[in-house]
Amino acid sequence: MTGRNVRIIFEREIRDQLRDRRTLMMVAVLPVLLYPLMGLSFFQISQVMGPKPSRILVLGAEERIEPPLFEEGRFASHLFRTPEDAQRCQVAFYTPNQAAELGIPAEKAGDDLAVADAVLQSRRFDAVLRFPPHFVQRLAIFREEVERAIRRWREERSAGQGDGAEESSRGGALALIVPEIPNPQVFYSTANERSSEAARLLNEILTQWREQVGEANLSAGGLPPQAAKPFRVQESDVAAESGFRGAALWSKILPVLLVVWALTGAFYPAVDLCAGEKERGTLETLLSSPAERVEVVLGKLGAVMIFSMATAVLNMVSMGLTGWLALGHLPMFAPPPWSVLWLIPALVPTSAVFSSLALGIAAFARSTKEGQYYLLPLLFLTLPLVGLPVARGLELTLGTSLLPVTGLVLLLKALIEGEAAQAWPFAFPVAAVTLGGCYYAIRWAVLQFNNEQVLFRDADRFDLRAWLRHLVSERREVPTPALAVVCGLLILLVRFALTNAFSRWPIQAGLIRLAVITQLAVIAAPVLLMTFLFARSMARTWRLRTPSWRGMSGAILLAFLLQPAATLLQQTVTRLYPLDPALREYLLGMTGDLGNPWLIFLAFALLPALCEETAFRGFVLTGLRQGVSARNAVIFSAIFFGLSHTILQQSITAFAAGLVLGTIALVTESLWPCIAFHAIHNALTLGTGMLASVLTQDWGRYETLRPGVAAAVGRLGQFSEDGFSYYPAVTALSLVLAVWVLLWMYAPPRLRAPGDSDTQPTLEDDELDEDALDEDELGRDRA
Amino acid sequence: MVKTKKLTKYYDDPRGGLVRAVDGIDFEARPGEIFGLLGPNGAGKTTALRILSTLLRPSGGRAIVAGFDCLRQPAQVRRNIGFMSVNTAVYDRMTAWEMVEYFGLLYGWTPEQLHPRMEYLFDRLKMNEIRDVPGGRMSTGMKQKVSIARALVHDPPVLIFDEPTSGLDVLVARNLLQTIRELRDQGKCIIFSTHIMREVEKLCDRVAILCRGRILTEGTPDELRTRFGEQDLEEIFFRLITEAESIAKGHDARLGGTAMGQDDPKAGPASSPQPRREGKDVEGGPSSQAVAPWVTDQRGGS
Repeated sequence: MTGRNVRIIFEREIRDQLRDRRTLMMVAVLPVLLYPLMGLSFFQISQVMGPKPSRILVLGAEERIEPPLFEEGRFASHLFRTPEDAQRCQVAFYTPNQAAELGIPAEKAGDDLAVADAVLQSRRFDAVLRFPPHFVQRLAIFREEVERAIRRWREERSAGQGDGAEESSRGGALALIVPEIPNPQVFYSTANERSSEAARLLNEILTQWREQVGEANLSAGGLPPQAAKPFRVQESDVAAESGFRGAALWSKILPVLLVVWALTGAFYPAVDLCAGEKERGTLETLLSSPAERVEVVLGKLGAVMIFSMATAVLNMVSMGLTGWLALGHLPMFAPPPWSVLWLIPALVPTSAVFSSLALGIAAFARSTKEGQYYLLPLLFLTLPLVGLPVARGLELTLGTSLLPVTGLVLLLKALIEGEAAQAWPFAFPVAAVTLGGCYYAIRWAVLQFNNEQVLFRDADRFDLRAWLRHLVSERREVPTPALAVVCGLLILLVRFALTNAFSRWPIQAGLIRLAVITQLAVIAAPVLLMTFLFARSMARTWRLRTPSWRGMSGAILLAFLLQPAATLLQQTVTRLYPLDPALREYLLGMTGDLGNPWLIFLAFALLPALCEETAFRGFVLTGLRQGVSARNAVIFSAIFFGLSHTILQQSITAFAAGLVLGTIALVTESLWPCIAFHAIHNALTLGTGMLASVLTQDWGRYETLRPGVAAAVGRLGQFSEDGFSYYPAVTALSLVLAVWVLLWMYAPPRLRAPGDSDTQPTLEDDELDEDALDEDELGRDRA
Repeated sequence: MVKTKKLTKYYDDPRGGLVRAVDGIDFEARPGEIFGLLGPNGAGKTTALRILSTLLRPSGGRAIVAGFDCLRQPAQVRRNIGFMSVNTAVYDRMTAWEMVEYFGLLYGWTPEQLHPRMEYLFDRLKMNEIRDVPGGRMSTGMKQKVSIARALVHDPPVLIFDEPTSGLDVLVARNLLQTIRELRDQGKCIIFSTHIMREVEKLCDRVAILCRGRILTEGTPDELRTRFGEQDLEEIFFRLITEAESIAKGHDARLGGTAMGQDDPKAGPASSPQPRREGKDVEGGPSSQAVAPWVTDQRGGS
């Protein structure tokens, strides 16, 4: 690879895009015009959409209420927070002879509830305020009671001075006995926004008025009105002084805009430079030149990145200018000065990730049209990663900083909010994840360019019926990679469809039954169906061949040796991504008292081992292996295995387990060692979990009862709140042993059995991925 | 200069089975010679030439171009060939001059080396009036000229033309053939694919007739005439192709076997004269023995 060719290609692509009217439109013209136009239309609409009056119907009130609630037929203006609110609040007082006018039948004219219902239904009023009968008189009685009580208390206190009766008399003063005052009622409807707004206004007014009533009561009793309000809360905004006013708003808006525009700005040039070249036939010209595929990809990537960054920058500048011109007088709309600077270093990696992603997708697409179809799904997949941290108020932690895109957005958000000191430590994991993402996205794009099936894809019409008929009637011995993916997706789909149904399953109604049904319905049924329909040889699809003794015993040993690492991984994962408390409660309930240990073993260890191994190491892995390298087949089958565990924390550990299991399956060429490993692993995890819950409370007694066992267990690790944790030395030693066992299992190179691969053995058959051997973390995998 | 040995290319049929686009072809083309690949649409011409220009990796066999192996040294091969086909288009938003210059730079030439060469080519091909015309506004003939200049800019010893005259009017086609002849006279090794008999008669020193991915016969036009006792090359071509088709169909019908030769994956089913069949068992196909010994698979991995 030479930098010269990359530069030549880069320069050409930039020039090419600058000459393309559509790209310029998207990147430069649109943002410059878009925001002023949006601002303009916003003004236009706001003329029409200005705050609507809140129409309130008052039932059962006399106008003369003291302290004054009404003045001149409306609510007293001093009760409102702003004069605008007072202006738009319209009041009507109901009298029964208005009933006909309001469309209420005469027989119901006296029924307050019916009236309220009717006027809200007809939307003539936005809210109804109802005072119960004799409300004013009762208020007056209440005041007199208060007055009397205070007077009595004063008299008693002056009379009983010195005889120590102070305590009891004070108690007497507090015990105010008055008939209960029925409360005023507000009727409104949350389904209607205007109605909710009216109710909010009413609530504000009435709270204010209630305080005034209280103050009036106190002064009637000869007490200072301030007695009930000894202090006021004074608020002062620190952000305003340090220049971070409005940071909360901008820290949400800017990162989202950055990501969305970096992605959109990358996508259109990428599609034009890859799918477009394919469509116009120039790609073949370029590829027959001496430029290597990597050079082509990097040159194009550079150009796409430039456009991605330019789009993002232009959009933000244009939006900022528009906002400043239109709304600059509101302090809330002035972005904090530093925030803009933080966007610049964040822009480069963001653009790099999305540019390479867009390039890979665009290289895959056959035509510009097809390429553009992929933009929306990509946006929809990305938006949750951007939206979640903003919407749910996620905090920047080690766990969240490891999530792609989300970590970057959170870091940016923290920086904009002026929390640089707290945020900096997380810059490293965020950078690592982002750069890793870039690397893999670029590699993927290069792979797309190296794949002749992608570059010269068959332009045949795809006939679904013929394809399906062919799959069924002329099925191969083992499934194709496409079918393996379909099977994995089918399992996920069934899992998703049933999750909701099962989440309402009462724990008491038999957890074991639930586990069995889940395994059979979610895992076993789809696999059986797919195998029956699409594979001629069940034995080869499911790898049902007798394993060597070395493979079998190796797998069993591994299950024990990897247990400490698995526990460590599981504990690390739950520390990084703490379980939702409700979910934790539910899971703890699940592992509680289950009854017969043999039944538990069958339902939570053996059955999942049989079903999941058949599915993921059987159908899916075998199918994938027909088309991709050993390493990728193991990784993709592990991803499906991980995803089929609906809880994120379980998915991560299950993914790790899937890597080990996939390796075992390929090394031993048999499913049985996988089943053995899986069952033992589950049993051990369940066993230590249950033991831990029993023994943490009762360790002392256990130690005295079974000193030998206790000593042995104590040498391996200790019980804590997290369950049983192995000592680091034990974990490390067992890991080393595990790697050794795996190498020992791998020693006889019999990976390429005759007929292991259906029609086309690939070159990589000879080199089983060394990487997979290093994957020794293994996770808890509860069914 | 160009030599293939049992060159093969298989595709996965989207409906299952394998498509043998190129099914073990051997030929050799020497410098100063125009070697014609003659065959109906879908015979495997484009696939074979794409392998020679390293756009596709062969499934089996070898191809040596200018002393370099197409599979192991693709970069050196590309440096030594000029490739032009129906599918190697011209950039719409680049002028003729920019387009040729761009590829010249990619071949590692400096602008100082490149510009005299380009001036020569633009004169020679009478392209000076389209120097500053962007590709999007060129006629087919102009585009073809730019493609030729692009393929020649680095003065390669081997030139591969895949149906270069398709879509050209008689006048432009004639000029193009004249240019190719001149290139041969300069000592270039030229591979030229076509389905037009007249071009072969006028141009080619040697010719191979390709059908369903296999070479049916090979030799100079005169050798073919004597071999088949027929003066009209077109008649020979027609007879050979019909025969091969009927044999293949017989096999297919008997075995329910696969459609063997399908050329260009971009050429849709409509352009294939032979009907496509649902492939069932490739191994049962007529040429399984010819395939088996040297299949070393280079698929996968990507």
